[in-house]
This record gives sequence, structure tokens and C-alpha cells, in this order.
Amino acid sequence: MSLSGKAAIAGIGATEFSKDSGRSELRLAAEACRAAIADAGLAPADVDGLVTFTADASAEIAVQRELGIPSLRFFSRVDYGGGAACGTVAHAAMAVATGQADAVVCYRAFNERSGHRFGQANKGGGSGSQAMEFSWHLPFGFATPAAWVAMQARRYMHEYGATSEDFGRVAVAMRRHAATNPRAWFHGRPITLEEHQASRWIVEPLRLLDCCQESDGGQAIVVTSAERARDLPHRPAVIAGAAQGTGPDQMMMFSYYSGDLASLPAMGRVGEQLWRQSGLGPDDVDTAILYDHFTPFVLVQLEELGFCGRGEAKDFLKDGGIELGGRLPVNPHGGQLGEAYIHGMNGIAEGVRQLRGTAANQVPDATNVLVTAGTGVPTSGLVLTAG
Amino acid sequence: MRQRDLSEARDAPAVHEELDEPAVHEELTALAARLAARGELPAPPCPDPVNAPMIRHWTQALGDASGAAGAWRDVAPPAMIQVWSMPGLVAQKAGSVADDPLRLLNEHGYTGVVATNCDQTYDRYVRVGERLRSTMRFGDVQGPKRTAMGEGYFVTWFQSWYDEDDRRVAEMLFRVLKFRPRRRGGGGRPSGAKPGRYPLRPAVGPDTRYFWDGVNDGELRIQSCADCGALRHPPGPMCPACHSTNRTYRKASGRGTVHSFVVHHHPPVPGRTPPYAVAVVELEEGVRIVGDIVGCEPSEVEVDMPVRVLFQHMDDELVLPRWTPADAPEPEGRDERREEPDQEPDGALRIDLTPTFVIATALATRDFTPVHHDTELARAQGSKDIFVNILTSIGLVQRYALETVPGAVLESIRVRLGVPAYTGDTLTLTGERADDRTLRVRGAVSLGDHLTATVTFKEGDAQ
Repeated sequence: MSLSGKAAIAGIGATEFSKDSGRSELRLAAEACRAAIADAGLAPADVDGLVTFTADASAEIAVQRELGIPSLRFFSRVDYGGGAACGTVAHAAMAVATGQADAVVCYRAFNERSGHRFGQANKGGGSGSQAMEFSWHLPFGFATPAAWVAMQARRYMHEYGATSEDFGRVAVAMRRHAATNPRAWFHGRPITLEEHQASRWIVEPLRLLDCCQESDGGQAIVVTSAERARDLPHRPAVIAGAAQGTGPDQMMMFSYYSGDLASLPAMGRVGEQLWRQSGLGPDDVDTAILYDHFTPFVLVQLEELGFCGRGEAKDFLKDGGIELGGRLPVNPHGGQLGEAYIHGMNGIAEGVRQLRGTAANQVPDATNVLVTAGTGVPTSGLVLTAG
Repeated sequence: MRQRDLSEARDAPAVHEELDEPAVHEELTALAARLAARGELPAPPCPDPVNAPMIRHWTQALGDASGAAGAWRDVAPPAMIQVWSMPGLVAQKAGSVADDPLRLLNEHGYTGVVATNCDQTYDRYVRVGERLRSTMRFGDVQGPKRTAMGEGYFVTWFQSWYDEDDRRVAEMLFRVLKFRPRRRGGGGRPSGAKPGRYPLRPAVGPDTRYFWDGVNDGELRIQSCADCGALRHPPGPMCPACHSTNRTYRKASGRGTVHSFVVHHHPPVPGRTPPYAVAVVELEEGVRIVGDIVGCEPSEVEVDMPVRVLFQHMDDELVLPRWTPADAPEPEGRDERREEPDQEPDGALRIDLTPTFVIATALATRDFTPVHHDTELARAQGSKDIFVNILTSIGLVQRYALETVPGAVLESIRVRLGVPAYTGDTLTLTGERADDRTLRVRGAVSLGDHLTATVTFKEGDAQ
């Protein structure tokens, strides 16, 4: 039995992406869900499942109340920060495929710029297993996501000779794409590699322009059966593969204690499952939405997912390799570096637009799209195909 | 001038700067360019020659014992340099080169002001009896920047001091933030922090206590399975190899190599002075551990560099295992308790900020601004109480530096100012040698960091 082809994304909806929404996170969640449900041609009363991130501040029952959904019969949460993004859709697809729900809305909404900012120094606290993980790191001033990613990036550079310029090419590509995407925060504001190289250090070897922006906003995704989706207004984005994954000795961004720091085994685990479930491979992918909170992990993902060999990503992305018109257009919407940081959920929406043929930077005849979630953490991914 | 911590917002990543009022911005930019083009201008005179009585008042007020010991018989403490050109108790202060831009900003709603930086560079120590003159020149205006205090501009200017032969003896950079006060609160510091307490503390549980006990005893302990012998770090309650819950530990040699590392610059981390290096260290025993690297410049750290462990007191209670180049000389002391009996257990300098201290130091630095001696006036101006003035803060950094590195000759003191040091609080100065010529100093009060500073010593003179 396989999940492949059983469920589809029928609706997407979002708030505007900003630096100061001026509204509560619950309101952003409700607005995004309402827009997604309407986009799917459904009414709130048709929804019987809700899934969000463990990290989300708005409870499923709170969203249910705002939308006037009479009752729910499926609700779940997915943990580990941005690693949850595709996992929410995976949970929804499993619920739909097994008859536990008919229509599930996955949502993520936050004021990550005007409210609690993840990029600031982590204060730790608590006494559970995650507090213990943090205790091996925070006391040394090793306290920000940029620092945690930089530790792996340095080893990757050491092993494969990648440079800050190689990371910069990712930022340049994302900003180029965002420049022609009207919904992107950095619409009309491309950057050059020289500007990347001139940007200040955040945590060496990461510069300011290696780090994604911070955003306020909400994004929601409606999942229903592939069969039902065919009767709804938009061309379905069929879920051909949906997977979660962790690696050996997995930690929350500190998986340094065994194995290879220049790799992301959790993403490798996700990739294997996606290809197996979907019967597709890297060559079949028309465009990839790769989680880009920090540029170095875009390179490592290209390797883990089989688009190129170990250490070869720097060559893969040279000469516009991941730009529109390149060998694999990555994040045509501009990614989180260029469009907005909505914890990866806006990338899923971009994947759906590419399959519908309605994206701002449309990849011609896109029929298979890969989407990944947060890296360095337990993660998830999707393969979507045009239904 | 009030001091608050701005560093948090100023240095946060992904701060996107935008212009709200292009007109003000242009006027300000043009004014700054005109002022900068004027170059050095005469500043208010130095009323007295460098003299012994003022030096004695200063050393007594700041508690600088080296003064009584005769260190300042022939030359003045370098951090006193600005004192020589302070006007004293006068009805109206003379103008500053930065008055016009500050006024312009005030008129456009940037009514808040906080000092953010005071950097002094000493060409040489001045001698008792010398007559000095000083000049000022405008630096620049940077902004608008979004900060924790609100949107604002950083305004920088310089003061220089010359001897009778027109040779420069010292220069000072002074920077303030002029900001639009935020409507929301914010920019505050977490409350409840104890003065002098290192803020980054591990949670310790039943599965990890042996490690932290070991660190307190000067041992680096690595968990080993009591049944199959597998080593494991970080530890856990069940051996993943044989599922035994019988645990013991092995004392590690404390030697390893850098497997990977980072150099932290931004955003600010409480209790830390950037830049600093943190590494994954591969131990000789074959397990890895994360820790920060001290005893060398961050730029000197490399992958595969051999390192050894140090156990350092961060405050009265917490010891951390840190790492230093394997060939580095023994730093300030593996255990300061034994080697430096005169100092506090952790090498910290603690100063009770009594009203006498705050007022005596303000007057000894010839700073008669009421917020440093008049409680009622300070409160009327929105302060909690009277607070330590900047000339004293920089003087205390000098005192700490010379008590930590006796006999050194100072080349510069660069101070980044944070929260105010109010009377009634305790100021705790701690430091870390970055290398032979560099000492990083942190001055903490209950509200957070009052200052972070970098002190450099002249070559060959440091011990």
C-alpha cells in the first residue's frame, strides 16, 4: 500500500507577507485558512481536519472557532521548526488516504519579524530532553540558528573546497527570482555576488546575505482526496510522495556528534522515500523548492536528493544552474531569502502554482515539483505532480 | 546622557533599512558632509595643566590602588585624558561640533539620545606638568537604522589632544544614537539577572550531572557504558549499542582537534563579547564535544588545530570547559583561587555603586551633569536614580585592565555602552584575554551589560 496519488492539494491561501502585520497570529492563521478554503472552492463546513506546526501559537480549536467549522475529526501537529512544513501535508494526506478526514487544512502563521524573532540568541530553559540538548551548546555563546548552520557549513567548505562565493550564488539566484515576483518582499531588488561578498559577517562563514529574511504572515494549504480534487476549481497538485525523516544521532540543529557534518542525512532519508513512493527521480523534477533559511544547506540538499554527487553542488549551481532557465530552477518565487520566511509553507504554495501554471516566474510545462522543509532539523518533503 | 543597550537591534541580522523621510535624510547628509569638510576645530581649552591633585582625586574616587602605589606619580592615567578638557561647573557648556545635526534630528522627532560608543587611543601617556590643548572634528551620520530603542541615526565625532609641540597624545571617538522613541516598550533587559552572574547556564539533569560535577573538579568526563564500554557524548540514560542503563565515565585527556568551528559576530548574545569562536572538538578518545575557544584570536582558529581543555570560572558558581590552542601559554590561571589570592574568586572586579562612589567619580572626572549627582533632578529627567558617568566607566575599564595585566601600557580602550549603572547596583567587571595584546572586558549590572570593552596593550609592554 502506498500513499502516492491518493491525495492532492486543492487550495492555497496566504496573507500578505510583511515585516509588521499589525494583527494577531490567530488572525493571520484564520485569514490564510479562509483564503485557502475559498481557493479550493470549499466552505469551512467542508473542512474536518486541521494540521499545524508544534511551534505554531494558534491552536487548531482556535482556528476552528474563527472559521466556524462545526467540528473536527482529525487534528495533529508536527514538530521541529521549519522541518515540519511538508510534514503537515504528509499528515493531512495520510488522514485523507485512510478516510480519517475528507478535507484537511494545513496552516502556519506568525509575526516572526514584529514578534518573537527566531534569529535572536536562544535563552534556553526547561528541563526536558530538548533543554538538555541545548545545554551542551548555549553556555558557550553558541546560541543562534545561523551559528548552528555555520558549524556544518564550515566543515562542508573544508571537505569540498566550497567558498563563500558559492553560497553567495544561491542568494543571488533567490533575489533574482524574487525581483520579478510581485508578492516577494524583495520584489524589484536583486543583488550581485559582489554585494553578497561585501555584506557583513553574521556568524563566519555566513554573511548577512546568506541568512534569510524574517517575515510576518500566514500560509495555508488544503488537502483532499485526489478524486475529489479533480471536481474542484483548480488543477490538482497530486501528492506523489510525502515523507518525514531524521538521521543518526539526530538533534535539533546540533547533529555534530557522529558522522559527517558536511551532509544532511535526515534529508537523504526523506529523498529516498520520495523517489521510491513517486517512482520519479531527480531527472524528472522540473523545478525544486528547496528550504533556504541559510544558503549552504541549499548546496547540501542538492547532493542529498541526488541532483548531483557529494561536493559537486558548487559546480551544479555555477553559471545560473539553479536560476530560471538553468539546469534545475530552484525556488522560482525567490524562496525564503527573497519572497518571505513563512517556515517553508510558502514554498509548498509555490509548488502548487507551478503545477497550475499560475506562478509569477512560471517554469514552462512544470509537471513534477519537489518541495523540501527545514534543514539541520528533523525534516520532511513532498513530490507534487500535475493532476 | 542616558545609556541603554542598543546593540541588540543594531546588530540583528536581516535588519532592512528604509527611509521614512527622504527630505530630513538629505538635509542631514548634506550637513554632515559640510561639517566633516571643516576638519579639526579648536575645542574648549584645557583649564589646568596635567596635575597631581586631580590625578589623586581621580585614583581615590575610582578606587585605583596603583595610584597610591606611585604608578601615576610622573604620568597621568591614560583614561583621564578627557578629564583635562572638561569645563567644570560652568553655567553653560560650550558648543560641540555635533550640535547642529543633533538639533536637526531633535526637530524631526528623533528626540531620544543615548551614548553608544567611546573609544580612546593613546599615542603616549601625558606627563604631570604638561599643558594640553584639544580639538574636535565631526565624523559622520549613519542611518536611519532600526534599533531596539526605535528608528534612529548614529552620530559620531572625535576629540583629539595635543602637547605643547603640537604632537597628538590621544584621540577619542564618541558616538550617540538619536532616535525616535518607540511607542511600545521594548529594548529592555530581562529582569531578575543577578549582577555578575554569567547568563548562559546549562540545565543539569540526572543523566548529565556527572559531567558538570567533573567540570567543577577540573575533569572532563565522558560517559561510558558500564557493560559494553562504548563511549558517548553527549550522554544519555541508555546505551544505544547494548541498551544497558549501567553507566560510568572515563576521564578524558582533555586534548583534541578542531573538527569544525564558527566565529560569532551577530546578533548580540548575553554575557558574550563578539567576535568569538565556537568549535566542535574531536577528542583523542574519539568522541566530539562543543565548546568555545579562548586564548587566541578567532581568526587564528583552523580546522584540525590541536586544542586542550581549560576549566574556567564564569562566576561564583559556574565552571565551563573551554578550549585553547594546545601550544598556547597557560592563561590567566587554571584556577584563579590559588594563583591570585588578592582577587575575587573568579578574577572579577566588583564595585558597589554607592551614592558616594557615583558622585565622587563624577566630580573627580569634572563632570557636573546633574544626573550624576542630583537624585531628584535625575528622576525628574526620567532616570531611576543617579548613575555612573561615561568618563568613570572608561576609567574603571583601565583599572580592571591594569589589575589584570599589571605593568602593561595601554594603547587603546574601546567601550560599547549598554544599560545605565545606577546607584544601589553592583558593577562587576570580568575579562578574557584574547591574545598577548588584547583584553576583552565586560561590565555587568543587574539590568544587563553596562559596557563591553576591548583594551589593547602596546607591544612588548604587556606581561
